[in-house]
Amino acid sequence: MSGLLGLSWRLLRGGGRSGLLGAGLTAAAVAVSAALLLFAVSANLAFQGRADREAWRNPVEARTGAVAVEAVRRDYVRDRPITVVDLAALEPGASPPPGLDRFPAPGEVWFSPALAELARELPDGQLADRFPGKTGGVIGDEGLVHPGELLVVRGQEPDSPVMAATATDDPRGGAAPTKISDFTGKATSDAEGYQALALIATVLMVVPLLVFGGAAARLTVARRDQRLAALRLVGATPGQVVAMTVAEAVITAFGGALAGTVLYGLLIPVLTRIEIAGGSWFASDMWPGVPYTLAVLAAVPLLVGLSAVVGLRRVVVSPLGVAKRETPPAMRFVRVLALLAALAAVPALGAGTAAGVVAVVLGLAFLAINLTGPWVVGMIGRITARTARGPARLLAGRRLVDDPKAAWRTVSGVALTGFVAGFIGFLSPAGGLFGDADATTLRLSVPAARAPQLTAEARERLSAAGVPARVEVTGGGGRRVLTVAVGKAAGDEAGDGKAAGKDKDEEKAAREGASASGRSVEGSASAAAVDRARTALDGLVPGRGATTAADEEVFSVLLLGDIGTGTVVVLTVSFLVAIVSAGITAASSVLDRRQTYALLRLAGTPLEVLDRARRAETLIPLAVMGGGSIAVGVFCAVPFAFSSVNVSGMVILLVCVVLGFAGVTGAGAASAPLLRSVTADPAPRPD
Amino acid sequence: MNAVLEGYDLVKRFGAAVALAGVGLAVGRGEAVAIMGPSGSGKSTLLHCLAGIMKPDAGEVRLLGQRVDTMRERERSALRRTRFGFVFQFGQLLPELPAEENVALPLMLGGVPRGDAVRRAREWFGPLGLGGMEERRPGELSGGQAQRVAIARALVTRPAVVFADEPTGALDQATGHDTMRLLVEATRGNEASLVVVTHDPQVARWCDRTVEVRDGRILSGEVRDGHAPGGPYPGHGSGEAVTRVFPGVSR
Ligand SMILES: Nc1ncnc2c1ncn2[C@@H]1O[C@H](COP(=O)(O)OP(=O)(O)O)[C@@H](O)[C@H]1O
Ligand SMILES: [Mg+2]
Repeated sequence: MSGLLGLSWRLLRGGGRSGLLGAGLTAAAVAVSAALLLFAVSANLAFQGRADREAWRNPVEARTGAVAVEAVRRDYVRDRPITVVDLAALEPGASPPPGLDRFPAPGEVWFSPALAELARELPDGQLADRFPGKTGGVIGDEGLVHPGELLVVRGQEPDSPVMAATATDDPRGGAAPTKISDFTGKATSDAEGYQALALIATVLMVVPLLVFGGAAARLTVARRDQRLAALRLVGATPGQVVAMTVAEAVITAFGGALAGTVLYGLLIPVLTRIEIAGGSWFASDMWPGVPYTLAVLAAVPLLVGLSAVVGLRRVVVSPLGVAKRETPPAMRFVRVLALLAALAAVPALGAGTAAGVVAVVLGLAFLAINLTGPWVVGMIGRITARTARGPARLLAGRRLVDDPKAAWRTVSGVALTGFVAGFIGFLSPAGGLFGDADATTLRLSVPAARAPQLTAEARERLSAAGVPARVEVTGGGGRRVLTVAVGKAAGDEAGDGKAAGKDKDEEKAAREGASASGRSVEGSASAAAVDRARTALDGLVPGRGATTAADEEVFSVLLLGDIGTGTVVVLTVSFLVAIVSAGITAASSVLDRRQTYALLRLAGTPLEVLDRARRAETLIPLAVMGGGSIAVGVFCAVPFAFSSVNVSGMVILLVCVVLGFAGVTGAGAASAPLLRSVTADPAPRPD
Repeated sequence: MNAVLEGYDLVKRFGAAVALAGVGLAVGRGEAVAIMGPSGSGKSTLLHCLAGIMKPDAGEVRLLGQRVDTMRERERSALRRTRFGFVFQFGQLLPELPAEENVALPLMLGGVPRGDAVRRAREWFGPLGLGGMEERRPGELSGGQAQRVAIARALVTRPAVVFADEPTGALDQATGHDTMRLLVEATRGNEASLVVVTHDPQVARWCDRTVEVRDGRILSGEVRDGHAPGGPYPGHGSGEAVTRVFPGVSR
């Protein structure tokens, strides 16, 4: 075996300049694949990590052996949520939650680093006053979802009124006081939702990656076909031929995978800055850990090796391995029927359809485009060839007809990205859908019986804090809602016109800001005033904070923002893969056909014609299939669309189209010098 | 002599190796010249210098009196495209193009509209014994047929000189002879000159003249007299070829 390995190594090195270049291209492709694969793995682990770190704040009721009571609620400062955790020990020596080195004593307050900093920055009356008490310490990373998270943990007596608060209606609003036996908790449904989205994104990224890696491996093998067929002719056994080629592919791939790991390592600092769910990532989130890294390092060369074996079957079966070039049978129309069938199911979908069904239909449409691609490429090849007037178009068209699958491989990445872009671009909700909610009217649910008393107290607290506001009680039944319109003229109320001087300045600034941003001046109040009101009202109803409609939307806004971020990330990865694969395919096709190209050049064919042909060969199918995929993506999105016209979605689409064309053109152009150099040889010979 | 192509004192070195050590050669109008010699003697290098593929280190190349070796690459490329035809050992046909389009390609590169180019290309198939193969692709042709398509491609632009470097080197002897005979006849019928590198003395006999190259020098230049362009040639037993009409003549 070591003899074989040695021979493989010599085969690899003996391939000459272009052989090494081919191996280099494979290694580069594998490196990009490995880096992105590591990213995909890490992304899932990172969301898992967030879910795990957040779980302790989603308490699970302990039937027996309760050691503590935990209550969680959301508070807000500016437009950011704060998680407020109140803990009361039922037994001495209860183990502390993650990130705290001891169980907080009653009256103690623990801040996350970001909240501590914010509390220092903002005037006390806006934030710090909500959390009076002795500072117990800083919450460590193990207890934080993300580095910028605003989290406060307060120690309480078990009989404190806070620990007897009732649950809010919104599950995101927190958890009512719950007896717990430990801080295991369970993942929140939001965290699980993010994990599901991450998984979908991973599928969108990994499928093209695997296809790409496999294609790269087969390209190397294709170039070796002739040499290996020669080896077979001189009597090498199929086993030996396979072993040598696979060894060669695996050596190359392993080198590439190592390089990819290093590349990924270098990218971690950039990747941690991607904000999801309102926060960036710990570096440790993005590091998949040794076992997963080793798994990727082992799996990638293995897959490349497998792919090489598949590619080699032909050579091994027949010593005259080099396939005869004949007119390939036309692609079956069935491929198109598959797409039509998948699309036929789309109108049946709607906002109410189960997510699983939607995913399946989308997946099928995605696959069907991939299946239809070669058929369409073959067809546009025939049209291009038939209608071509000049030589470049003719060459391009014939090339497309000759091997539509290869041509499709070159552009499939970008075209499939078009599907994703079309779908998301059309779906991504218009900016106006959320974020316009009233951010100045605070609402607080109160027991009906205590409403008058609490209203009076609220007015008192607000005027003491110097916040002009109109306080009203609305609603009926057992619970009433106290509405506090911050900045509104309070009419006959006590706070009328009594705003403190500093408030007037603040309000003036706010009004100017608001009119600058085109919002209605009427009734607007500065975020600072709202935060002062929140702070003033804190503790009015134990365990409840006053929230605005905008606060309650924060998570929806964040989620939409995250979908946007996710889109950008997935599209970036797709484009990277697509463009690298277009570049590699272009370079390989130059290497594969260098004898013919060189002879054409000797016979006086201008290289520009060859370049133009190569460009047309990718751009024509890209235009047709990219456009087609976008259309299919949009079609799939129609049943779910909230709004008809959507600027940001269209911008995404436009950027994708421009990037796709520029990238593929650039990738092809990158191999033009290669074409020049390989055709400069006046005595070209096949490998 | 009415020389179409002339090379004087051609010298070409590759590093320390001297591939051509001062070679002179003149090719007359419609003349077929065979270049023979052992492997590595400089035959291909000579052909490449004459055809404007390579620049000689010293010496001159003239086509109809015009210097070729001093032209820039772009001009030489245009010259090769329009005034020269090439037949290589193999691999010059684009595998995805049907035979007729492979032949039409040089015309299209020269700006001939596609319909015209293909029609003119098709005229070559019958005389070259390729009738019915117009739409086959190179992979569906035998080696000999593929070389005949290459011959058609070399001649379709009505070049002044056709260069062939061991054009039958990859064929068996019988097919090689047939192909070579067609090459000689077709070039002659087209009033083009032919410079062909060959190992086969039989092939050389069909040409007007054989030039023997050794170590980058010309040993002997044996002129075979009495064969006007287009006329019968020795060693060519059958009269069949003479009756063929090649497209170039008909125009
Ligand atoms: N591109 C090149 N680089 C280096 N040496 C070359 C090159 N082309 C030809 N030679 C050398 O020049 C000499 C003549 O080569 P060539 O003209 O190809 O010979 P022939 O065609 O007669 O077999 C040989 O010694 C060959 O090694
Ligand atoms: Mg030679």
